[in-house]
Amino acid sequence: MRLVRRWLLLICLWPLGGPWASEILLTASQDSPSVEQFVHALRERRPNDNVRFVPVDELGRPAKLDPAIRLILLDSASLEWRLTENPGPPALALRVSRVQAEKRLGKLRPPYLSLLWSDPPLDRQLRLTRYLLPQARRIGVLYGQHSQFLLEELRRAAQPMGLEIVAQAWPDLRDSRPLQTLLQNSDVLLGIDDPQLYSPKTAKNLLLSSYARQMALIGPTAGFVRAGSLASTLSDQDDWLAVLDRLLDQSPGKWPRALYPKHFHVVGNQQVARALGVETIDPLAAAQALALAEGERRP
Amino acid sequence: MSFGPPSPRPVVLLTALLSAPAVADDLFVDTQAVPQVLTATRLKQSPAAVPGSMTVLDSALIRASGARDVPELLRLVPGMMIGYGAANQPTVNYHGSNVNDARRMQVLIDGRSVYRAGLATVDWSDIPLAMEDIERIEVFRGPNTVSYGANALMAVVNILTRKPADSHGTRLKVTRGQRGINDWYASQGTGWEDGDLRLSLSGMQDDGFDEDRNGQDYRDSRRLNRLNLSVSHALASNQSLDWQLAVKEGSNQRPYTYQPVFYGVTENGDNSDANAKNYAGSVRWNIDLNPEHSLYVQGTAQHWERKQVWRACDAAMSFSPQLTRLWQLDPNYAEQVARNILAPPPPASPEKYALASEAQQQWRNGGSEQVCGDIDQSTRETRMDLELQDTLSLSDSLRLVSGVNYRYDRADSQTFFNGSLDDSTWRLFGHLEWRASEHWILQGGAMFEDARLSGSSLTPRVAVNYLITPRHGLRAVYSEAVRSPDMFENNVNWSYQVDNLSRTVFGQNSARYFVKTRGPGDLDQEHMRSRELGYNGYFADADISVDLKLFYDEITGMISEPLRNNQYIASNSNKARFSGTEAQMDWHLSPADRFRLTYAHVDAWASNAADRQMSAHNSGSAGWLRNWGQGWSSALFYYGDDALNQYRFERVDLRVAKQITWDRTQLELAGMLQQRLDDEPTSNVDNYYDSRHVLYFSAELAF
Repeated sequence: MRLVRRWLLLICLWPLGGPWASEILLTASQDSPSVEQFVHALRERRPNDNVRFVPVDELGRPAKLDPAIRLILLDSASLEWRLTENPGPPALALRVSRVQAEKRLGKLRPPYLSLLWSDPPLDRQLRLTRYLLPQARRIGVLYGQHSQFLLEELRRAAQPMGLEIVAQAWPDLRDSRPLQTLLQNSDVLLGIDDPQLYSPKTAKNLLLSSYARQMALIGPTAGFVRAGSLASTLSDQDDWLAVLDRLLDQSPGKWPRALYPKHFHVVGNQQVARALGVETIDPLAAAQALALAEGERRP
Repeated sequence: MSFGPPSPRPVVLLTALLSAPAVADDLFVDTQAVPQVLTATRLKQSPAAVPGSMTVLDSALIRASGARDVPELLRLVPGMMIGYGAANQPTVNYHGSNVNDARRMQVLIDGRSVYRAGLATVDWSDIPLAMEDIERIEVFRGPNTVSYGANALMAVVNILTRKPADSHGTRLKVTRGQRGINDWYASQGTGWEDGDLRLSLSGMQDDGFDEDRNGQDYRDSRRLNRLNLSVSHALASNQSLDWQLAVKEGSNQRPYTYQPVFYGVTENGDNSDANAKNYAGSVRWNIDLNPEHSLYVQGTAQHWERKQVWRACDAAMSFSPQLTRLWQLDPNYAEQVARNILAPPPPASPEKYALASEAQQQWRNGGSEQVCGDIDQSTRETRMDLELQDTLSLSDSLRLVSGVNYRYDRADSQTFFNGSLDDSTWRLFGHLEWRASEHWILQGGAMFEDARLSGSSLTPRVAVNYLITPRHGLRAVYSEAVRSPDMFENNVNWSYQVDNLSRTVFGQNSARYFVKTRGPGDLDQEHMRSRELGYNGYFADADISVDLKLFYDEITGMISEPLRNNQYIASNSNKARFSGTEAQMDWHLSPADRFRLTYAHVDAWASNAADRQMSAHNSGSAGWLRNWGQGWSSALFYYGDDALNQYRFERVDLRVAKQITWDRTQLELAGMLQQRLDDEPTSNVDNYYDSRHVLYFSAELAF
């Protein structure tokens, strides 16, 4: 009787994939304290799985690995390694942005790869902009050669919110005229996570120029928020653990080709908010409001 | 539910992100080392928390105004009174004071004061600055010597030029129109690995007013050329070096206004035109020691050269040694004798009477003959200024700005100073901002100044802001400010050496005119006490910003005497009071429409009537900027003053522009119409135009 009960329980739980111990192999070019911390946290979260980390250059060819393994790729070197051949275990690629993927893969989406986007989703950033600066209608967006493809998606997301995307190419970073033109024609600047445009080199010009016009920059990353951007949404380790937990419960066949995390936070720069005369940012309330809006949009 | 269970963690994360490098522990929070740019030392108070009233003229407004010079642009600032001594001698006064001089306002270009060293005034026509190079003008309406130095008595006009990094490429512009308007501008900007530069050349020309009060042609045209070079270098991630050079050369016509002292003189000269050259250079080194501490060192050098040599005619008596001696003994008596040279001398002491009798004898023996000669009223002024300013963020709610400044001024003029005169000034200043709570901000500071010629002074300033919300603030400000008498007012040693005489007088070809005027040498500083209550708010839903202000300003120890060479007796005996209200509103009705209104009501009282002349009781402006799409835009402005020096001023300006873009080349064609709505002269009895309207066109190419 006990055996039957156990089997019944197993059958009920089977769709969640719970009790089957999986081999989860994380890889990156090298180990680091933050990688270790993440591996440790994942291990704690999935006590039934065998979670381990191996540097990518110790792994050999992907095809030689057991196909039942679930790979988690933690950087571009490991992604490159997995892309070397089609045979091999399915992989969840973390810490890869839309712009990086566009540069490397174009429209190609290999069936063995699930891309988990590291950059904040554009509709979420737009919603954050609307939440913090409800009066801003014209959203200024700088784009480069590798981020131009996002504009259409951005416009589609902006339209139902009643926002207008004012896009401006910035081909030569030493020449600030496009930035100045954009600042003249928009109410707020929204940063796309394109490392060519938003880098430590350009941060000073971007932030000082927009601040000189009392204009806020939203996004693109937490680093920029620290540097002087007003706010951004972001998904941190705990958010990603929650996302991974759910994906690892599913069979790799059900993994989406690409995914933005549903779990996120809001970070804001209170000093900048104060200098711009914006209400103090309550990150928790902001995240909840955005989550609610996303829930309403995707019931 | 897409958002995880509520927990206090996000707040913890936020704190960590913004303060400590601990975020490196999170694999997913970017570890890219973006330097902190908007640091506590760089961020300023939000508009609602500014300790005073401020008007910002942004680049869109500057362009839409179609203004050809800065004074015309300042009509957009509430309470600013724009007058003209002649068309090439604009005067800008905040709230008022004398029509001929604007001595009580500080004007800075990228931190360099363009207030002249010797003759405390701003020559607006001669500032080496093209309108096209201006990015923004911030006008601080009220005294603020703590932040901007002495002479920031009534207001501060802080002109910021476009950064070289924002000026890459080529810009060419020409403006042509009625009244002889003929302006041009050309700039080239470029950049390299860690620096940028902009070189601009420009010129300006117009005929000025058409007629004087008698319907005669008015000699007040101007012609000038300028060169500006602005360079910035990034020395390191936390250090930058900016330097600028500016040169201006030009001529300003002046009518011949010399009135002969003696009876029967019929010959005269035809002009007293001035040739003006300005040279300026500045270097500024900015250092961010850390996000909480930054400083800069700025050095500037400026040289103003006014060459004004003109031919004047009077009787040979003007050079009589006896009359000169008489003037030294008693200027009033000497003038009486000179003006009534045919009448017997009025009674006086034996010495004076004897001199007067001798003079009359000279008159009969050839002293009445006319003689003409060259008068050299040229001046050369030099200023060197070195400033160190330190900004320290002591905590999240406490910031200290402090610094030290040394200035050396030198003025050189045979006519005004009988040689040269110099002065040096030390200044120490400190300003503390304390955000006591979310709602209360307390700001205060003081400046100590010690000038060799005019002594020392200490001026305090206190402001309290109450923020109802971050975007709506009330303020109460008390400040004191001083203005040091300039070298001219205090130390003038004024007499004319006349050269190239048309005939020998008293055995000489070159002689000194008998009138000689000396400044008192012991003038004190003017003192201003200002009280202000204000509100600044931004209504986000409607996109309207509003600023309201009530003010009560008093100037004591005011030096009001006009600078005239017969009997200039300067003193600190005058006073003035200005009270009233001001309002400004900027409303972005839609992305295409912007409305702007300013209004000032000023009640002026002054012990010297001349100091009441330039205060319009009611003045203001209204503007509507619209973008019609497909490159078309328009701007309509109304400016009005009910009485400036007794004369009404009302004008409507319309600018229509079409922008055409090919690839990365932009062409803007614009037409500008200014229509006067009244028939009054412009702030001075001699300032008449033939027509109530003027039309000019511009074409600007940028690639």
